[in-house]
Amino acid sequence: MEWVGALLFLAVILFLLAGFPVAFTLAGTGLLFAFAGVIAGTFEAAFLSGLPSRVFGIMNNETLVAVPLFVFMGITLERARIAEDLLETLSSLFGSMRGGLGISVTLVGMLLAASTGIVGATVVTMGLLSLPTMLKRGYSPEIATGTICASGTLGQIIPPSIILVMLGDVMSAAYQQAQLAQGNFSPRTVSVGDLFAGALIPGLLLVGLYVAYLIGVAIVRPKTMPAHVMEPGKTVSLLQVINALAPPLILIFAVLGSILGGKATPTEAAGVGAVGALLMALQRRALTLERLRAIMRGTLSVSSMVFMILIGASIFSLVFRGYGGDDVVREWLHALPGGVISAMLLVMLLMFLLGFVLDFIEITFVVVPIVAPILLTMGLDPVWLGIMIAINLQTSFLTPPFGFALFYLRGVAPPSITTGQIYRGVMPFIALQLFALLMLALLPQLVTWLPEKIYG
Amino acid sequence: MASSKTASRIDAFSTYVGNTVAWLTLAMIAVTFIVVLLRYAFGIGAVWMQESVVWMHGAVFMLGAASTLQREEHVRVDIFYRNLSDIGQAWINVIGVLLFLMPFSLFLMYASYDYVAASWAIGEVSRDAGGLPYPLLPLIKSVLLLMPAMVALQGLSMLVIAIRRLRARHLPSAGTTRRNG
Repeated sequence: MEWVGALLFLAVILFLLAGFPVAFTLAGTGLLFAFAGVIAGTFEAAFLSGLPSRVFGIMNNETLVAVPLFVFMGITLERARIAEDLLETLSSLFGSMRGGLGISVTLVGMLLAASTGIVGATVVTMGLLSLPTMLKRGYSPEIATGTICASGTLGQIIPPSIILVMLGDVMSAAYQQAQLAQGNFSPRTVSVGDLFAGALIPGLLLVGLYVAYLIGVAIVRPKTMPAHVMEPGKTVSLLQVINALAPPLILIFAVLGSILGGKATPTEAAGVGAVGALLMALQRRALTLERLRAIMRGTLSVSSMVFMILIGASIFSLVFRGYGGDDVVREWLHALPGGVISAMLLVMLLMFLLGFVLDFIEITFVVVPIVAPILLTMGLDPVWLGIMIAINLQTSFLTPPFGFALFYLRGVAPPSITTGQIYRGVMPFIALQLFALLMLALLPQLVTWLPEKIYG
Repeated sequence: MASSKTASRIDAFSTYVGNTVAWLTLAMIAVTFIVVLLRYAFGIGAVWMQESVVWMHGAVFMLGAASTLQREEHVRVDIFYRNLSDIGQAWINVIGVLLFLMPFSLFLMYASYDYVAASWAIGEVSRDAGGLPYPLLPLIKSVLLLMPAMVALQGLSMLVIAIRRLRARHLPSAGTTRRNG
């Protein structure tokens, strides 16, 4: 009955494309296949009896409590208009340099990523904030849109991103499973903190590559990103710069530092970070009761959305496993000539393609639990695998014609910008992403060095 | 067939629950902050407080699921969906509710009944020493019945709204284009 597993997977992709909410489509498709199997006598009804305790296990998952807390922090910072201030200050600081505005946008994207970690929101905010300014100052539409899309997706990889929290939770389970399968009954663990530490250098590497590229373009084709002549009297003082930069920077360093320094769990750091964000909003007089309600409401919606997908995905996985689907995947991956390298390449390619239709959350909860234990059994490092997946998906979200980031930006870009310009604009950044992936593949230490240094 | 009045009552109910439960997100942050403060400033560990954050988190996303549905904030894969006409979208919602949402909700309710009842029957308490006292654990487990019940209700409202849109397709446009949520 192995083909049923494959059929189930194809069916769920097709059904998801119809556009009904993902959480219910995942759960419903799984259940329909299970019911049909029970009637046909090919599926053990007992597989479904563990469902309530699984759902309760999701409610009880301490690692993932960090997700709503980070979301709360991110939405609070967004409502407090931190991004606006940052962009304004940095661009008046660097704006008179050729390419300075582009670099400012990249840096703000990085800081925003580190403080919110929600991709769609970052691309939309940056698109609304910086695209009009960049165009007004004579930037070529390609450079402007490419920079915004690419920096907007940094939120997935730069810690503390909520995606790394989810990936960390899934990876930790997969790592246990892989080691138990190999007969290691005192398995080593991998944590969200490991993933944060592992993502730091690759994240900064990406930012470095983007900035280097922008500087290169500014030198070779200065007309595409002209310098801005500052009006006299409109220059910023050092105090203004400190005022705009210090609070978010302190918050990011405190949150990241306490996690990486082993002083706090991600959940604790997120809770304290959220209090910090509320204080920042208060200090800017940006916190009203109405806004607080909107922040809480937004946090509730994002967490419900994420965790209902997790519930849907876990029902789907239960049925997929019940039909022996994961055994089939294991056999296929093991049967590939070329061993772990070609298995990894195939999985990365598959995820890249799935990234066109599925969001990070679905891929993390549906696909990673199936393939990660197999790849880890083949000897890959869990942190390295997690970061490779994250950057791979980030690249996928940038790639035309289906990349999510492109859709988000298209939604807020003025009609004068053609879709072709956006596509051409992201191409160089896709090349940079692939280059970064290649570097991490050849030099895994870029990922593994810091976690080993910190956690031993 | 339920009327559109029923639909708006369901919507109001989900919204009310959602807005109320949303306050728990603020409570989660406050309690986490206090836990950290107690631990690092005074060296006091508060297991029940730490545990309460986990339970509040569970209550938030479970009890908020219906109002998130009402607000159209459960993510969709919308590459094709967003380009569909109103009618096309209504069809997807009708089929989706009947084929996916209802079976999921009803089955989860059915499957959880014994699980929750057993927890009440044995007067289950937290495994961790110093954890939450009875009857909080069975109460929280009861969310396993409440979530699917509320989602099923909200699904009913979604169904009513979508069917009304399908029925109205032959009429001259009469304010039927408003999207659910």
